Amino acid sequence: MASEFELSRNITIGQYVPTDSFIHRLDPRIKLLIFTVLVLAIALNTSYVGNALGLLLSIYLFWASKIPVSYGLSGIKPAIPFIIILAVLQLIFQGNVFSGGTVYFEYGFILITSESIRLVIVSAVRFVEIILLSSVLTLSTSTTELTHAIQSLLSPLKKIKVPVHELSLIITIAIRFVPTFAIEMEKMMKAQASRGADFGSGEWWRIIQRTKDMLPIIIPLFNIALSRAEDLILAMESRCYTPGNDRSTYSVYKALGRDYLVLFIGLLFSLLLLFYPFPY
Amino acid sequence: MEPIIALENVSFSYKINETHSVPVLKDVSFSVFPGEYVAIIGHNGSGKSTLSKHLNGLLTPSTGDVWVRGHNTKDESRKLDIRKSIGMVFQHPDNQIVATIVEEDVAFGLENIGIPREEMKQRIDEALEVVKMSDFRKRPPHHLSGGQKQRVAIAGVLAMQPDCIVFDESTSMLDTFGRNEVLQVMKKMNRMGMTIITVTHRMSEAAEADRIIVVEDGTIVMDGQPRDIFKHKQVLMDLQLDVPAVSQIAEIVHHHIPNFSKEVIQEEELINEVKRVSKARSGEVV
Repeated sequence: MASEFELSRNITIGQYVPTDSFIHRLDPRIKLLIFTVLVLAIALNTSYVGNALGLLLSIYLFWASKIPVSYGLSGIKPAIPFIIILAVLQLIFQGNVFSGGTVYFEYGFILITSESIRLVIVSAVRFVEIILLSSVLTLSTSTTELTHAIQSLLSPLKKIKVPVHELSLIITIAIRFVPTFAIEMEKMMKAQASRGADFGSGEWWRIIQRTKDMLPIIIPLFNIALSRAEDLILAMESRCYTPGNDRSTYSVYKALGRDYLVLFIGLLFSLLLLFYPFPY
Repeated sequence: MEPIIALENVSFSYKINETHSVPVLKDVSFSVFPGEYVAIIGHNGSGKSTLSKHLNGLLTPSTGDVWVRGHNTKDESRKLDIRKSIGMVFQHPDNQIVATIVEEDVAFGLENIGIPREEMKQRIDEALEVVKMSDFRKRPPHHLSGGQKQRVAIAGVLAMQPDCIVFDESTSMLDTFGRNEVLQVMKKMNRMGMTIITVTHRMSEAAEADRIIVVEDGTIVMDGQPRDIFKHKQVLMDLQLDVPAVSQIAEIVHHHIPNFSKEVIQEEELINEVKRVSKARSGEVV
């Protein structure tokens, strides 16, 4: 019963698990680069076999980074309604997008073909792959490492006056506060529930009602977020943070041979997903 | 001796709109000298927190001046020098940690002022050693207790090697255990020569300082050594403040045993006084 309030347990983004595996020790710039390329390749691959390979890879990465897959699976749980809604919409409305394939069902504008079923299954699996991959990335890389990586990969943009460091700092702080707000929300739900508020007992399809139920949580949460932000600004300013200033960096990365090897393998895999004509 | 911070006739009001403003500080003047341990006390709404934000230029006075090491806090070009010289630790332990790993948070301030990497490493080691958090350097902050987080925040400030650290109600969100941890660190840093200014409404904390400034309604009503301040029990009560529990105990005992000094303000003193008096008494019996 109380488990419905334990939000911080379900959040995997931004929670670094230090198992010190091979994956953890990779250069974060390489990890981020490979992650981006892989996600792109998965997003563009429409075959069953290709996505099965992608799924295997994401599960393998959990194993290689010595993090239980359950960490990633619990990240998928909240996305399930979206995956289902998306799947239904695609099944109903996307039949005409791909020509060809066997027609299984036709009624008015609804057209279900083998191609549209493929689209539905593949995009659901894709979702899972991408969530798993991003979980591995964030579980095995500290957010500071990640932002250093973003900063370093985007640094060429400084030449056209893009505030790269500021952007990466915004991302770090956003990620850094996810667990804090989850705990905050948990407290608030318990407080409201103990005063008789009703969460999650309404039927799941009554989306509007359930959203209304969340208002007494969301509004104070915004309030708290803003006051926390004000505090944080003062603390950062007191520690001499000045946007646009030259700063030094504590963490310096040096790509080693194994990093390049991983980069090579990852690129090869992505190219395979992108260009190999899978039969199914 | 040159003061670290000097306030000269500082007044400050918060603007509500074009025509209205609320005065918070009224003609405040005092100086803090190197090596001092100052407690600023006052009840909620007395203006003590606004006062503390003037000490490193987070706020600048409406009239009057604040000088930090000879630089006026109104001088934008000196802002960084002023903040390098006056570190600040805030109330809420969670709202001042930027990074996701302890040592990287300690590094944040050092990165901002452009300390080279080798020196950064050394300073982080030293700062974490002072606050006894070296074993936690690779931990994410949300796995730490309130007192531990606050000590990390202190290390982040300490590593920047300021001349003075201001604690703005830094123990008020902590439990007794966490509060003691932070107090120990404050005392230790003061012994090492750091100037400490602590803003608090806890009298037991103020009793640890060398000097107390009592703020009420935006003005300084008393400024002196704790022993002298706590003598004015009635004045403090009128300001909704209290004397430390130790003082209260001493006064009760003094009432029954006149020989027992009522001017005791620290725990250790209380114990020594008990020992002294009981020894003297046993002498009487013999």
